[in-house]
Amino acid sequence: MNNPTPHALLRKEDQRLITGTGQFSADAQAVGMLHGYVIRSPHAHARITRLDVSVVRSASGVRQVLTAQDVQAASFNNLPNMSQVKDPQGQPQIVCTMPVLAQEKVLYVGQPVAWVVADTALQAQDAAELAQIDYDTLDVAVTFEDATAPGAVQLHAQAPGNTSVKFEAGDRASVDAAFAKAHFVSDIAIDSQRLVGSPMEPRAVWAWHDDAKGVTHVHTPTQGVGGMAGFLAHITRWPHESMEVHTHDVGGSFGLRGTAYSEHILLMLSTRELKKPVRWVGSRSEVFVSDWHGRALRLHGHIALDAQGHILAMRFENQVDVGAYNVYFSTHIGARNLSITMGGAYQVPALHMSSHIFFTNTVPVSAYRGAGRPDIAYAIDRLIDHAANQHGLDGLAVRRKNFISPQAFPYTTANQTVYDSGQFEAVMDHAIGMSEPKGFAQRRVDALQRGCLLGRGLAYYLEASGSSGAAKDQVRGSFDAQAVLSLHALTGASGQGHETSFAQVVENEIGLPTSAVRYLSGEPEQGLVGNGTGGSRTLYGAGSAIKNLCQQLMIQAKPAIAALWTIGEADITHVKGEWHEAGGAKRRLRFADWITSLGAQAAQVHAVGEATSGMTFPNGCHIAEVEINITTGVAEVAHYWAVDDVGLVISPEQVLGQVQGGVVQGMGQAFGEHAIYDRETGQLMTGSYMDYPMPRADGLVRHFHHETHAVHTALNLLGSKGVGESGCSGSLPALANAVADALRQVGAPPIDMPFTPAKLWAAILAAPRKP
Amino acid sequence: MKLTFTLNGTLTSADVPERTFLADLLRDTFGLTGTHVGCDTTQCGCCTLHVDGQAVKSCTMLAMQADGCTVTTIEGLGANGLHPVQQAFSQCHGLQCGFCTPGMVMASVDLLRRNPKPTPAQIAEGLSGNLCRCTGYVNIIRAVQQASQAMQGDAP
Repeated sequence: MNNPTPHALLRKEDQRLITGTGQFSADAQAVGMLHGYVIRSPHAHARITRLDVSVVRSASGVRQVLTAQDVQAASFNNLPNMSQVKDPQGQPQIVCTMPVLAQEKVLYVGQPVAWVVADTALQAQDAAELAQIDYDTLDVAVTFEDATAPGAVQLHAQAPGNTSVKFEAGDRASVDAAFAKAHFVSDIAIDSQRLVGSPMEPRAVWAWHDDAKGVTHVHTPTQGVGGMAGFLAHITRWPHESMEVHTHDVGGSFGLRGTAYSEHILLMLSTRELKKPVRWVGSRSEVFVSDWHGRALRLHGHIALDAQGHILAMRFENQVDVGAYNVYFSTHIGARNLSITMGGAYQVPALHMSSHIFFTNTVPVSAYRGAGRPDIAYAIDRLIDHAANQHGLDGLAVRRKNFISPQAFPYTTANQTVYDSGQFEAVMDHAIGMSEPKGFAQRRVDALQRGCLLGRGLAYYLEASGSSGAAKDQVRGSFDAQAVLSLHALTGASGQGHETSFAQVVENEIGLPTSAVRYLSGEPEQGLVGNGTGGSRTLYGAGSAIKNLCQQLMIQAKPAIAALWTIGEADITHVKGEWHEAGGAKRRLRFADWITSLGAQAAQVHAVGEATSGMTFPNGCHIAEVEINITTGVAEVAHYWAVDDVGLVISPEQVLGQVQGGVVQGMGQAFGEHAIYDRETGQLMTGSYMDYPMPRADGLVRHFHHETHAVHTALNLLGSKGVGESGCSGSLPALANAVADALRQVGAPPIDMPFTPAKLWAAILAAPRKP
Repeated sequence: MKLTFTLNGTLTSADVPERTFLADLLRDTFGLTGTHVGCDTTQCGCCTLHVDGQAVKSCTMLAMQADGCTVTTIEGLGANGLHPVQQAFSQCHGLQCGFCTPGMVMASVDLLRRNPKPTPAQIAEGLSGNLCRCTGYVNIIRAVQQASQAMQGDAP
């Protein structure tokens, strides 16, 4: 093998990750470590009539067995539900929270029923099989129709009709009036099917109790240690100061690693009682039925247009399947995130939405990459495309006519969301310009000669990035004697490359080389306030705090610079990491030079930066050309063009990586992924990678083209809008519009995602025209 | 049961229960945690390593099957500095969270051994047994192309 000259690595994270020396939660070993195993429900809906674990307790190597009784004895809370809404009559939502271990009833396959701790993982698993558990099975409901039909089996005594709430947003009367006078109306029901998020690292956690200090240490994947610590304290009702959360490398999250699960709580209880470290490592089969699922939404969209193609109103009637319990963000998704950008990038005078939030015998749903925002973005642009085609209008012209114009900002939507900036038509033209529109007709002919239907789909998405839970984001910066800056904050990465992009922010602001900046987030941060990673907000949230930190460092050192130059502080200004002497010799000094000149004294320089950053509105235009093989139904993305306005770009390679990853995750949903439950038994039929088709290297986009189109935002100090979820938001409507366009060639009506070969093949066979 | 094998260049032996998988032996007994376990059906490829020079998914290979074999893990791949495949994965941004990366790198090294100048389509097919949830594979395919060029002595 030749040994080429070593090149620098792209990211600060990469050295450990490419050499296998990263530190994921399942990698930990500790002296005397014990191993936990969860006994899960094999039934979707059943009463537990007998739970005898005495044989398990006496099995080889077993140290402890816990059941719901032990959880109740510990006075733990159920897992939290993060928001509660009201129905239009003012009745509060019925909230049914999930117990750490099932009490009396199980409501989904995989629900934790009991917990075994043994000397080895195999002993724990073997012993678990000895448990004597009898179930009296009940009817199951895994679909909206089955859950809400009259006489349907009821999951929770307090929730008749399996309804948590029928929420409404917007103005029903003005929407009704607009539909009454409309020239064109259209409607389409759009499924955003249930998904399994599937970060590549299966969930794994370990905990140990420091008896001397009375502190329980929890080592877990998170999206930020602060949020996890809050959830753990809430559920256990233990004081915050009696626990510390540690996060090392996180093997993907997509919303799934930000919240506490039953296993966290059981580990904490076990390690406190057993005085030994205890670890739980989920198998993929387990996390398929225990990581919160995503999406599970059906949006029925209606649109009213006037004779010229101006949009008069939109209405969405949503079915929001939260699974067996209300956990964490499911209400936030079904109520807030579906309504906040309901008109998308378009000027829509009247908006109304209803969300029927209901329970089923399935894994509870929470946030998954975009958490409702890709779904509504998908539905809006599918609806516009569908209406244009139904009424013989030009889809592009309808979009142009209805875009919010650049002069209209700040723009308040009919749902009272205030957008700050955007150049939607210019971004669309940018994307169209890239996408070789003139060659499409020929490409379509060529595809047909190869036996394929080629469809072209365009979509414009707009989403609201995370508005943040914490009031502000803080970062502590401190130099060491080698003038290396350590940044401490709460937001933790799961692949986004925080260590690299935050160092780049520092380099941009005060000229320190990225090699002299370290970002640390995985340790308990005494006294700091901040958000975790989520809602595509981290770069501008913590990044703005880092920019503020840099400004403070410049200001804070002014007395020292004044003393150095023997002039007054008032005679010193600073620009981008450099102090300037206003008059006199007009001396200049770069921060990077000054800090290294201090020698060991550099270790005395530190500051805390902070920033308050609200939501932003990333947006963009995605165009897809999808080829469907007429004889096999297999679809391939021949070309994909995306132009995104993500505001200021800090790390172009990582922005591109986020878009590519997001688009392919969208392709996963568009072409295959679907968590399918059996209607009779409530068993998850797609419970492994053998039957849940994850996107693979050989089934993806043949040509991927991406550019950014930055429009300034003043909503945060940094000027960025966020990029993490835009790939999903743009790709779902672009791909679905392309598939619908391909099917239109044979007169086939649109079908729902996922566009599997079987569904596409059947649609083409049943179509009125032959290709 | 006892087995003896060469692990990253060193003759090694272990005494394991017969149902122990190779990935678990390496992780739990030898502390070689670069071999990741991402599924339990041999679908994801996070656990890919080399047995007698060939890529193998070690999460469902019994440890005893490695008796007498030469096993190389991600930790042993770059023992004399980074392998060109490792470098290319970083330079092409072929990793984000990095969990799939050791398996991807080991599968790619074997792919390039069998086919030193693969086309993008051959790379995509060759890596279709390794799942990545972050990158969308676009940069992974670029990385293997770049590594191929580097290993031919071409400028990357």
